[in-house]
Amino acid sequence: MLSIIATNLLRRPTRTIFTAAGIAVGIATIVALLSFTQGLRETAAGLAHLGGSGLGVFQSNVSDPTASILPESLVAQLARQPYVARATPLVLLVEGVKREPSAVTFGADPRGFFAQSLVIVAGTRPASPETEALVGDRLAAQLHLAPGEALAVSGHTYRVAGLYHSGILFEDSGAVLSLAQTRLLAARPGEETNVVVDLAPRAHARAAATAIERDFPGTQVISDPQQALRAGANGTLISKAILVIVAMALIVGAIGVANTMAMSILERQSELGLLSTVGWSSRRVATLVMGEGIAVSVLGAIAGLLFGVIGADLLVRALGVSAYVSPAVTAWGLGRGLLVGVAIGVLGGAYPAWRVTHMQPLKVLAGT
Amino acid sequence: MSVPAGAEVRVEGVAKRFSGVDALRDVSLRVDAGEAVAITGRSGSGKSTLLALIGGLEQPDSGRVLIDGRAIWRQAGVARARRELVGFVFQRHLLLEALSARANVEVPLIGASERRAQRRRRALELLEEVGLSDRAEHLPSELSGGERQRVAVARALANQPRLLLADEPTGALDSYTSERVLDLLFGLRDQHGTTMIVVSYDAAVGARADRTVTLLDGALAATDTPSAVGG
Repeated sequence: MLSIIATNLLRRPTRTIFTAAGIAVGIATIVALLSFTQGLRETAAGLAHLGGSGLGVFQSNVSDPTASILPESLVAQLARQPYVARATPLVLLVEGVKREPSAVTFGADPRGFFAQSLVIVAGTRPASPETEALVGDRLAAQLHLAPGEALAVSGHTYRVAGLYHSGILFEDSGAVLSLAQTRLLAARPGEETNVVVDLAPRAHARAAATAIERDFPGTQVISDPQQALRAGANGTLISKAILVIVAMALIVGAIGVANTMAMSILERQSELGLLSTVGWSSRRVATLVMGEGIAVSVLGAIAGLLFGVIGADLLVRALGVSAYVSPAVTAWGLGRGLLVGVAIGVLGGAYPAWRVTHMQPLKVLAGT
Repeated sequence: MSVPAGAEVRVEGVAKRFSGVDALRDVSLRVDAGEAVAITGRSGSGKSTLLALIGGLEQPDSGRVLIDGRAIWRQAGVARARRELVGFVFQRHLLLEALSARANVEVPLIGASERRAQRRRRALELLEEVGLSDRAEHLPSELSGGERQRVAVARALANQPRLLLADEPTGALDSYTSERVLDLLFGLRDQHGTTMIVVSYDAAVGARADRTVTLLDGALAATDTPSAVGG
């Protein structure tokens, strides 16, 4: 049976290749988006634990966590809570670095634990916070920056005092200025984007998050990557968009396979009728047709997995977010792509297979 | 290779209509085990339909077909009955073009109990029997018309049928090749005792058969032995 399936697919290689290619495009899109989302999730993990914090406090109901606005006074109030060891404010400035728009500029209190947790890998910490900046090692590599050189942020030029590494992609792809300078650039006097909180020993993140959201209305706490993704409308939109694309890939792919297989069985009616005359049951003939549909889909899916892995990288470049999203290809992501491929084959092969079971061998053999 | 002895066929009052037209009307026929019967008649007289009913390719609207006393057309078991009892040879050889001659002969055996090696050995034996052992790995497109028909005969014999049904087996062949294919078919019948029913316009088929049945407008018109036809 398998050898007949293989032979039938190989006898019309162009048709097989085009059908598989159509499926491959769908699967590649799915895999690329899943990899992108996984990368986004890992970036979100960084957002949840900026500066190695236990959790981050943001404004609730914002389109994106970076659009959050909180009052300056919140830091001191949070610092007084029994479950909080330390709290420090951050101002996040997006698209401030024109040469790398996806890089985030962090405005941080130089004495706060966020700034202090950065490991300086070249140069020094800023001696003059008003005129100097720290640059993440990843951004420095992209912009070919070294200590002593200049970095332009929102039209202002700062001397690069040093390069840092934190181990968090989001941070290492950005730059750090003083809180006051960033507020000035963002035109947000007396405001901050979020407060990063280091929990007291034995404090539980989830319990602390519940308490903060209860005691400080209008805030939301992000303590894990899933929350970070859900916190912004963009993350939710991406997740939903993937679902829609998966559904579309299934429908379009299945129609493509069904069309190919339906044409194939029309051309091969005599052959399939013959199989009935030599004692193949309807179920066996249908299995042959279904098997061909699944085989071409799996071929397409395998090609799609390869293209998807490549496409994920292209996608983050095209979206200009390569600085803070690194596509993460997981076995489960690839597995889902393959599952969709098999599902396309089953759905697309079902109708032609059903038609085969209703063929009348005599008419088919007579060519009518 | 040993083929079991032929099956007895009884057709009892079968009728079949296609699109409101009577293809067969109350046809009854008995073919003894090992007998070779030729069915003749004008185009549209119902010859192929009768063959299809006997082989379980079509279900009669009324009446029944019994092979060795058992109705062939039982929905659940008709495919199995075809596989175990019946071999078909058609005017168009209907070989699978992408498969070699050997693989074509193996097709009826797929799904039967034989392993791949056994199937392969059986196919090669049959091709040797029809004189094509040296053409086993050739594609149908690489074979002559007569060779393709001989492959089709080998395929029909793959499941060791007790009933061989042939619909115009020489219709697309020249007279020399027709003679060779008929030699093969009737030789196999003589050798194995397989019951054979052959639909044909060809007088040579009638001359070789034990009996000739003539259909006219879907009904049985006459039954003759070769001597009666000739004489």
